[in-house]
Amino acid sequence: MNTFYALFPLLIIVAASLLVMILEVFFKREDRSYLAYLSLLFLIASAAACVKFWNKGYSYFDGNLSLSNLSLFFCSILIVATFLVILISMKYLTLHSANYGEYYALLLFALSGMIIMVSSSDLIVIFLGLEVLSLSSYALAGLRREDEKSNEAAIKYFLLGSFASAFLVFGIAFLYGATQATAIPSIIEGLKTGSSIGTLGLVGLGLVVIGFGFKVAVVPFHMWTPDVYQGAPTPITAFFSVGPKAVGFAVLLRIFIPYFQDALESQLLFGLLWIIAAITMIAGNLIALRQTNVKRILAYSSIAHAGYLMVAILAKDILGLVFYLTAYLFMNIGAFAAVIALGKKDHEYLELEDYRGIGFRYPWIGATFAVFLISLAGFPPTGGFLAKFYVFSAAVRQGLVSLVIIGVLASLVSVFYYLRIIIYMYMREPAYEVDINYDNPSLFLALFLCLYGVLQLGIFPGNILVLIRQAVAALPFL
Amino acid sequence: MEIPILSIVTFLPLAGALLFIFINRDKENLLRYLALFISIITFIVSLYLYFNFNAQTPDPQFVEKGPWIGYGINYHVGIDGISLYLVLLTTFLMPIVILSSWTYIQNRVKEYLIFMFLLQTGIIGVFVALNLFLFYVFWEAMLIPMYFLIGIWGGKRKIYATVKFVLFTMLGSLLMLVAIFYMYNLFYKATGTYSLNIFDYYRMILNPNVQVWLFLAFGLAFAIKVPMFPFHTWLPDAHVEAPTAGSVVLAAVLLKMGTYGFLRFAFPMFPDALQKFLPVLGVLCIIGIIYGGLMALIQKDVKSLVAYSSVSHMGLIMLAIFALNLEGIEGGIYQMLNHGLSTGALFLCVGILYERSHTRLIKDFGGVSKQMPIFSAFFLVCMLSSVGLPGLNGFVGEILCLFGVFKANKVLAILGVTTVILAAAYLLWMFQRVMQGPITNDKVRSFKDLNLREIAYLTPIVILMFWMGIYPQTFLRKMDVSVSNLVNQVNRKEAIFTEAKKENKPPVNMHVLTENEKDKDPIAKEDKESQ
Repeated sequence: MNTFYALFPLLIIVAASLLVMILEVFFKREDRSYLAYLSLLFLIASAAACVKFWNKGYSYFDGNLSLSNLSLFFCSILIVATFLVILISMKYLTLHSANYGEYYALLLFALSGMIIMVSSSDLIVIFLGLEVLSLSSYALAGLRREDEKSNEAAIKYFLLGSFASAFLVFGIAFLYGATQATAIPSIIEGLKTGSSIGTLGLVGLGLVVIGFGFKVAVVPFHMWTPDVYQGAPTPITAFFSVGPKAVGFAVLLRIFIPYFQDALESQLLFGLLWIIAAITMIAGNLIALRQTNVKRILAYSSIAHAGYLMVAILAKDILGLVFYLTAYLFMNIGAFAAVIALGKKDHEYLELEDYRGIGFRYPWIGATFAVFLISLAGFPPTGGFLAKFYVFSAAVRQGLVSLVIIGVLASLVSVFYYLRIIIYMYMREPAYEVDINYDNPSLFLALFLCLYGVLQLGIFPGNILVLIRQAVAALPFL
Repeated sequence: MEIPILSIVTFLPLAGALLFIFINRDKENLLRYLALFISIITFIVSLYLYFNFNAQTPDPQFVEKGPWIGYGINYHVGIDGISLYLVLLTTFLMPIVILSSWTYIQNRVKEYLIFMFLLQTGIIGVFVALNLFLFYVFWEAMLIPMYFLIGIWGGKRKIYATVKFVLFTMLGSLLMLVAIFYMYNLFYKATGTYSLNIFDYYRMILNPNVQVWLFLAFGLAFAIKVPMFPFHTWLPDAHVEAPTAGSVVLAAVLLKMGTYGFLRFAFPMFPDALQKFLPVLGVLCIIGIIYGGLMALIQKDVKSLVAYSSVSHMGLIMLAIFALNLEGIEGGIYQMLNHGLSTGALFLCVGILYERSHTRLIKDFGGVSKQMPIFSAFFLVCMLSSVGLPGLNGFVGEILCLFGVFKANKVLAILGVTTVILAAAYLLWMFQRVMQGPITNDKVRSFKDLNLREIAYLTPIVILMFWMGIYPQTFLRKMDVSVSNLVNQVNRKEAIFTEAKKENKPPVNMHVLTENEKDKDPIAKEDKESQ
């Protein structure tokens, strides 16, 4: 149905970010937590709108912005992700003297960009959304202005990100040239019916893969990831590791799953994505073995997870992909939340050596962190296991047995470095005192929510699966 | 409504673990007593299974089935004559290991007991699960508590040992997971319904070429767990570094998960591939038996001696199971229980010595029996049970195993007997060096004999050793029907294949699968589908 309501989830977020910016100017206060609470409130409102519109199929702007169930589901997980990120950043910002009012505004702008991306099926609109997301992200990466690493992260992200955007626009132009369309369904239709110029279309799609490959950090477009993840403020790293990845895959899913329904023309691209998936899983996990900085370990781990998600695309398994992203959201933000929890004024404990004996000194933080790591490694009974189970079993169903074997062996490698953190936390004696700031209720709330999410998705995922099935069932393009 | 007795047995320890989270860590004695209480309750509840077990039917009993995630993933548990004793063995040993670590574990008692309980739930879950997904969940989830038990309370090289243990096991089980996906998919293609129920899979008659790969994937997972030569290298490390209770659980129950896996999954599902691999497997078992025995002979450390003896003994158990006849498999299962008791008890004895001397090197001991006469008696019985002295449990099991093997293959049986000879050699020699002779180390003079607690946990084991050695009927009769059903199942499927080969036509399958070109090659199949 074409109705103005379709804009609500987006408008609420945009309104919130503008309001935050204005309020910040008029109420100069040291403690800006009121901005955070305000943002959280608006996020809840936006999420409520998403829930309300479930199964309604609203759209606006001639269908350029349409809230299908799948879009709504993606919106919801992005809103949840942002919600958790705000929870984990509230105290962090004051502790690390980066408490700028525009932080929340930028975060919400980024979210609005992501919402645009997941609720549109027109590549031009998606590109608009991507730019909104990217520009806010560059600023967020460099939030700690006095910190060299943070600046480096921002510049690196900006430079490589602009390249990726350029590739994407280029790809869109090629696709337009090939099919005279910018809407994804028409492009796919054009490519499939052969009414287009084949090579042009292929080059276009290839460039789109590069553009989004950068956003979701698959090898070989991952070079920026470790440095940016390490340099950016930790809550922002958590945000980067989940948000852009989720939207990137949401778009890739819209393009490639319908495209791969047709085997004839897509062999080349299928092969390309196959190779990308394989080397992402292998390289991401292998390089992570050598890291000693926890943020970098998690950065490479997020690269490896992009590889598993790519397998889901190849397996044409939307259910698995969406479930994986949902589980990944909780376990990854949870892991970063635990890293943030181990911090004090102007200092974060990020080296593996710092984690010696943490598990017994701070039993709750240690135990939850261990659960997130175990989930990332894919052990049952956590969400991470079930996610891998769905993706890999769908891939086997599509005959991708060798890719799945590469995947499971790569995840065997990953077990080693996830467990390595646990080894430091539980099996080595502490060498020095690690003081942390305990006065951080919002962070512990986030930790608890993530823990709940990981376990709920691992043990009783029934409700979420029902929702995802509804979302997948009503797909416009299948 | 029926009482979900199996679920209670499985999840009672988990409930205990959750309860423990909320108890103050400083109340160590409360924690210990409570743990003992919970584990004894679990054991008593599990005895209900034994007394109400119907020995006349091969079907699983105490079945509970309920929807869980859907699409074939259901909660489905039950036990038959094969898994009954393994569950009982687990619940029986748990109070014993908790008692044995009463004073041994002084640090972080709370976490220790929590992990013990999680481990117990995982192990029982593996034995009762009748849904492949559920089985896999328990199979993997059980690794985590064991990882912590070795890694936190282990010896000097604990981290190396625990990582090696996890990675080895994971390697096998991940490939098994791929095989499970493959079968899940085959079943769906053939029938149009999703199922992970193992009884549905029993009905599947698979293409022999596919079977080979699936058998290799499942077999690797189980062979690593058993462990069969050459996948055994994690075992001595894990055993030596683990705390006493960890070693006991590892040897007594965890290794049985591998043999159980062969019996429950690999045999009935892939009988044809099994036949193909039998010669290789037989040889590997023999190598394991001899190699394990010889390695045990030269160990300087009592604990690693017992660990290598495990490799040797498990070799015989596997050999007996691969005989694929009633005597062999029954003997194998019986020997699994015996090995659980005797090796578990030997580890307990080593633990008792270690607690007094803080060393495990054979040369540091000598003449201990003079200082510890009661201990000496217990140790002697456990050692002889492991050697296989008539009148004790080991003898019954080994005789049955060797009968079975002899029926199947005489050469292998003759070579298999070496396990008994070698066991006598390394165990008696060890006993002589540790317990007898003059006291050479002054430290030994300060050893105190067993206290009441130690006697309390060794006594039930020794009683059971005599019982199982003198009157094995109590135990064997309840597994007869299940085992002969298993043997029939394997033979029946085997017959279908031989029939098909004789008539030179692909095996026809009425139940689930048909022999089909595209089943062989996943890539060709994918092309076909996507077109």
